[in-house]
Amino acid sequence: MAIDAIAAKVITGVGTGTLSPVAPTGGDGGEGFGASLARLVGTVEDSHHSANAAVNGMLNGQLDVHDAMIALQRADLTLQFGVQVRNKLVNAYQEIMRMPV
Amino acid sequence: MSTLNTAVSVAASALSAERTRIEVAVSNLANAGSTRGADGKTYRRRDVVLATDTVRSFDSALGAASATGVKVAAIVEDQTAARRSFDPSHPDADSEGFVELPNINPAEEMVDMVGASRAYQANLTAINLIRDLVSRSLELGRA
Repeated sequence: MAIDAIAAKVITGVGTGTLSPVAPTGGDGGEGFGASLARLVGTVEDSHHSANAAVNGMLNGQLDVHDAMIALQRADLTLQFGVQVRNKLVNAYQEIMRMPV
Repeated sequence: MSTLNTAVSVAASALSAERTRIEVAVSNLANAGSTRGADGKTYRRRDVVLATDTVRSFDSALGAASATGVKVAAIVEDQTAARRSFDPSHPDADSEGFVELPNINPAEEMVDMVGASRAYQANLTAINLIRDLVSRSLELGRA
Protein backbone atom coordinates (compact mmCIF):
# COMPACT_ATOMS: atom_id res chain seq x y z
CA MET A 1 0.00 0.00 0.00
CA ALA A 2 0.90 3.66 -0.12
CA ILE A 3 1.91 3.62 3.54
CA ASP A 4 4.70 1.20 2.80
CA ALA A 5 6.09 3.41 0.08
CA ILE A 6 6.16 6.47 2.35
CA ALA A 7 7.71 4.49 5.18
CA ALA A 8 10.40 3.08 2.91
CA LYS A 9 11.32 6.55 1.67
CA VAL A 10 11.54 8.02 5.13
CA ILE A 11 13.51 5.10 6.49
CA THR A 12 16.09 5.11 3.69
CA GLY A 13 16.32 8.87 4.10
CA VAL A 14 17.12 8.47 7.76
CA GLY A 15 19.37 5.47 7.44
CA THR A 16 21.56 6.05 4.40
CA GLY A 17 21.19 9.66 3.35
CA THR A 18 22.14 11.96 6.17
CA LEU A 19 23.57 9.82 8.86
CA SER A 20 25.98 7.38 7.27
CA PRO A 21 28.86 9.92 7.48
CA VAL A 22 28.45 10.01 11.26
CA ALA A 23 29.38 6.40 11.85
CA PRO A 24 32.83 6.33 10.16
CA THR A 25 33.98 9.63 11.70
CA GLY A 26 33.11 8.57 15.22
CA GLY A 27 36.07 6.23 15.77
CA ASP A 28 35.50 4.13 18.89
CA GLY A 29 31.99 5.37 19.64
CA GLY A 30 30.98 5.38 15.98
CA GLU A 31 30.08 1.72 15.91
CA GLY A 32 27.76 2.10 18.88
CA PHE A 33 26.00 4.99 17.19
CA GLY A 34 25.70 3.11 13.93
CA ALA A 35 24.46 -0.09 15.57
CA SER A 36 21.87 1.68 17.72
CA LEU A 37 20.74 3.68 14.71
CA ALA A 38 20.37 0.50 12.66
CA ARG A 39 18.35 -1.03 15.49
CA LEU A 40 16.18 2.07 15.66
CA VAL A 41 15.54 1.98 11.91
CA GLY A 42 14.74 -1.72 12.24
CA THR A 43 12.19 -0.99 14.99
CA VAL A 44 10.56 1.74 12.91
CA GLU A 45 10.43 -0.58 9.92
CA ASP A 46 8.95 -3.41 12.03
CA SER A 47 6.21 -1.18 13.39
CA HIS A 48 5.37 -0.04 9.86
CA HIS A 49 5.21 -3.63 8.68
CA SER A 50 2.83 -4.55 11.50
CA ALA A 51 0.72 -1.45 10.77
CA ASN A 52 0.58 -2.50 7.13
CA ALA A 53 -0.44 -6.03 8.11
CA ALA A 54 -3.11 -4.67 10.49
CA VAL A 55 -4.60 -2.42 7.79
CA ASN A 56 -4.63 -5.32 5.34
CA GLY A 57 -6.22 -7.53 7.99
CA MET A 58 -8.91 -4.94 8.62
CA LEU A 59 -9.65 -4.62 4.90
CA ASN A 60 -9.90 -8.42 4.68
CA GLY A 61 -12.31 -8.39 7.59
CA GLN A 62 -10.07 -10.41 9.93
CA LEU A 63 -9.23 -7.57 12.31
CA ASP A 64 -11.21 -4.85 14.01
CA VAL A 65 -10.94 -1.18 13.15
CA HIS A 66 -9.40 -0.38 16.51
CA ASP A 67 -6.62 -2.95 16.01
CA ALA A 68 -5.62 -1.33 12.73
CA MET A 69 -5.81 2.17 14.18
CA ILE A 70 -3.72 1.23 17.21
CA ALA A 71 -1.10 -0.35 14.94
CA LEU A 72 -1.04 2.83 12.83
CA GLN A 73 -0.67 5.00 15.94
CA ARG A 74 2.16 2.81 17.18
CA ALA A 75 3.93 3.10 13.84
CA ASP A 76 3.41 6.87 13.85
CA LEU A 77 4.80 7.30 17.37
CA THR A 78 7.76 5.03 16.64
CA LEU A 79 8.51 7.02 13.49
CA GLN A 80 8.29 10.31 15.41
CA PHE A 81 10.65 8.88 18.01
CA GLY A 82 13.07 7.83 15.29
CA VAL A 83 12.94 11.28 13.71
CA GLN A 84 13.64 12.89 17.07
CA VAL A 85 16.69 10.70 17.64
CA ARG A 86 17.92 11.45 14.12
CA ASN A 87 17.46 15.19 14.70
CA LYS A 88 19.47 14.99 17.90
CA LEU A 89 22.28 13.08 16.20
CA VAL A 90 22.42 15.49 13.26
CA ASN A 91 22.41 18.47 15.63
CA ALA A 92 25.31 17.02 17.59
CA TYR A 93 27.22 16.31 14.37
CA GLN A 94 26.66 19.85 13.03
CA GLU A 95 27.59 21.38 16.37
CA ILE A 96 30.92 19.58 16.26
CA MET A 97 31.53 20.49 12.61
CA ARG A 98 30.93 24.16 13.41
CA MET A 99 33.68 24.12 16.02
CA PRO A 100 36.59 26.40 15.04
CA VAL A 101 39.89 24.51 14.83
CA MET B 1 7.56 2.57 25.70
CA SER B 2 6.95 -1.07 26.44
CA THR B 3 4.82 -0.42 29.51
CA LEU B 4 2.61 1.94 27.55
CA ASN B 5 2.44 -0.64 24.78
CA THR B 6 1.17 -3.16 27.31
CA ALA B 7 -1.48 -0.73 28.52
CA VAL B 8 -2.62 -0.14 24.95
CA SER B 9 -2.80 -3.90 24.34
CA VAL B 10 -4.90 -4.31 27.48
CA ALA B 11 -7.29 -1.56 26.39
CA ALA B 12 -7.44 -3.08 22.91
CA SER B 13 -8.40 -6.47 24.37
CA ALA B 14 -11.20 -4.72 26.27
CA LEU B 15 -12.36 -3.06 23.04
CA SER B 16 -12.65 -6.47 21.37
CA ALA B 17 -14.51 -7.92 24.36
CA GLU B 18 -16.98 -5.03 24.52
CA ARG B 19 -17.55 -5.28 20.79
CA THR B 20 -18.48 -8.94 21.26
CA ARG B 21 -20.87 -7.94 24.05
CA ILE B 22 -22.55 -5.43 21.73
CA GLU B 23 -22.75 -8.04 18.95
CA VAL B 24 -24.42 -10.54 21.27
CA ALA B 25 -26.89 -7.93 22.55
CA VAL B 26 -27.72 -6.96 18.96
CA SER B 27 -28.27 -10.60 18.04
CA ASN B 28 -30.55 -11.04 21.07
CA LEU B 29 -32.49 -7.94 20.11
CA ALA B 30 -32.81 -9.01 16.49
CA ASN B 31 -34.07 -12.45 17.48
CA ALA B 32 -36.59 -11.27 20.07
CA GLY B 33 -39.34 -12.71 17.88
CA SER B 34 -37.60 -15.79 16.39
CA THR B 35 -39.55 -18.95 17.04
CA ARG B 36 -37.16 -21.21 15.13
CA GLY B 37 -33.45 -21.43 15.85
CA ALA B 38 -30.74 -23.32 13.94
CA ASP B 39 -31.59 -26.51 15.87
CA GLY B 40 -35.32 -26.14 15.26
CA LYS B 41 -35.97 -24.97 18.83
CA THR B 42 -36.82 -21.47 19.97
CA TYR B 43 -33.90 -19.01 20.04
CA ARG B 44 -32.45 -18.57 23.51
CA ARG B 45 -31.01 -15.37 24.89
CA ARG B 46 -27.19 -15.38 24.83
CA ASP B 47 -24.84 -13.93 27.38
CA VAL B 48 -21.13 -13.15 27.23
CA VAL B 49 -18.78 -14.40 29.96
CA LEU B 50 -15.65 -12.28 30.28
CA ALA B 51 -12.41 -13.53 31.83
CA THR B 52 -8.99 -12.07 32.51
CA ASP B 53 -6.32 -12.70 29.93
CA THR B 54 -2.56 -12.25 29.99
CA VAL B 55 -1.52 -9.88 27.27
CA ARG B 56 1.57 -11.06 25.42
CA SER B 57 4.26 -8.47 25.75
CA PHE B 58 7.87 -8.01 26.69
CA ASP B 59 6.91 -7.28 30.30
CA SER B 60 4.83 -10.42 30.71
CA ALA B 61 7.63 -12.48 29.16
CA LEU B 62 9.83 -11.30 32.01
CA GLY B 63 7.22 -12.33 34.53
CA ALA B 64 6.62 -8.75 35.60
CA ALA B 65 3.15 -8.38 34.15
CA SER B 66 1.22 -5.71 36.00
CA ALA B 67 -1.47 -5.28 33.38
CA THR B 68 -4.03 -7.96 32.65
CA GLY B 69 -6.24 -7.94 29.60
CA VAL B 70 -9.71 -9.32 29.12
CA LYS B 71 -11.09 -11.92 26.77
CA VAL B 72 -14.41 -13.51 25.97
CA ALA B 73 -14.34 -16.81 27.85
CA ALA B 74 -17.63 -18.13 26.55
CA ILE B 75 -20.97 -17.19 25.06
CA VAL B 76 -23.59 -19.05 27.11
CA GLU B 77 -27.30 -19.51 26.57
CA ASP B 78 -29.69 -18.13 29.14
CA GLN B 79 -31.62 -21.12 30.51
CA THR B 80 -34.68 -19.24 31.80
CA ALA B 81 -37.97 -20.52 30.41
CA ALA B 82 -39.23 -19.26 27.07
CA ARG B 83 -42.17 -16.87 26.97
CA ARG B 84 -45.42 -18.62 26.00
CA SER B 85 -48.05 -16.70 24.14
CA PHE B 86 -51.42 -17.96 22.99
CA ASP B 87 -51.63 -17.82 19.19
CA PRO B 88 -53.27 -20.92 17.70
CA SER B 89 -52.95 -19.65 14.12
CA HIS B 90 -49.13 -19.51 14.35
CA PRO B 91 -47.41 -22.31 12.40
CA ASP B 92 -45.15 -23.06 15.38
CA ALA B 93 -48.00 -23.28 17.90
CA ASP B 94 -48.16 -26.48 19.98
CA SER B 95 -51.24 -28.68 20.43
CA GLU B 96 -52.63 -26.30 23.09
CA GLY B 97 -52.26 -23.29 20.80
CA PHE B 98 -49.26 -21.76 22.61
CA VAL B 99 -46.18 -20.41 20.80
CA GLU B 100 -42.81 -20.37 22.55
CA LEU B 101 -41.10 -17.00 22.11
CA PRO B 102 -37.45 -16.32 23.09
CA ASN B 103 -36.72 -15.37 26.70
CA ILE B 104 -35.62 -11.91 25.61
CA ASN B 105 -36.57 -8.60 27.14
CA PRO B 106 -35.68 -5.83 24.63
CA ALA B 107 -35.29 -3.24 27.41
CA GLU B 108 -32.71 -5.45 29.12
CA GLU B 109 -30.77 -5.79 25.86
CA MET B 110 -30.80 -2.02 25.38
CA VAL B 111 -29.36 -1.54 28.87
CA ASP B 112 -26.69 -4.14 28.07
CA MET B 113 -25.79 -2.30 24.88
CA VAL B 114 -25.55 1.06 26.63
CA GLY B 115 -23.27 -0.49 29.26
CA ALA B 116 -21.05 -2.12 26.65
CA SER B 117 -20.81 1.02 24.54
CA ARG B 118 -19.89 3.13 27.58
CA ALA B 119 -17.20 0.61 28.50
CA TYR B 120 -15.95 0.75 24.89
CA GLN B 121 -15.75 4.54 25.07
CA ALA B 122 -13.92 4.40 28.39
CA ASN B 123 -11.26 2.14 26.89
CA LEU B 124 -10.95 4.39 23.84
CA THR B 125 -10.33 7.29 26.20
CA ALA B 126 -7.62 5.29 27.94
CA ILE B 127 -5.89 4.60 24.61
CA ASN B 128 -6.11 8.27 23.62
CA LEU B 129 -4.65 9.28 26.96
CA ILE B 130 -1.69 6.95 26.54
CA ARG B 131 -1.10 8.22 23.00
CA ASP B 132 -1.17 11.82 24.23
CA LEU B 133 1.28 11.00 27.01
CA VAL B 134 3.71 9.41 24.56
CA SER B 135 3.55 12.32 22.10
CA ARG B 136 3.98 14.82 24.93
CA SER B 137 7.05 12.89 26.03
CA LEU B 138 8.41 13.09 22.49
CA GLU B 139 8.11 16.87 22.69
CA LEU B 140 10.81 16.78 25.36
CA GLY B 141 13.32 16.23 22.55
CA ARG B 142 11.88 19.01 20.39
CA ALA B 143 13.35 21.88 22.39
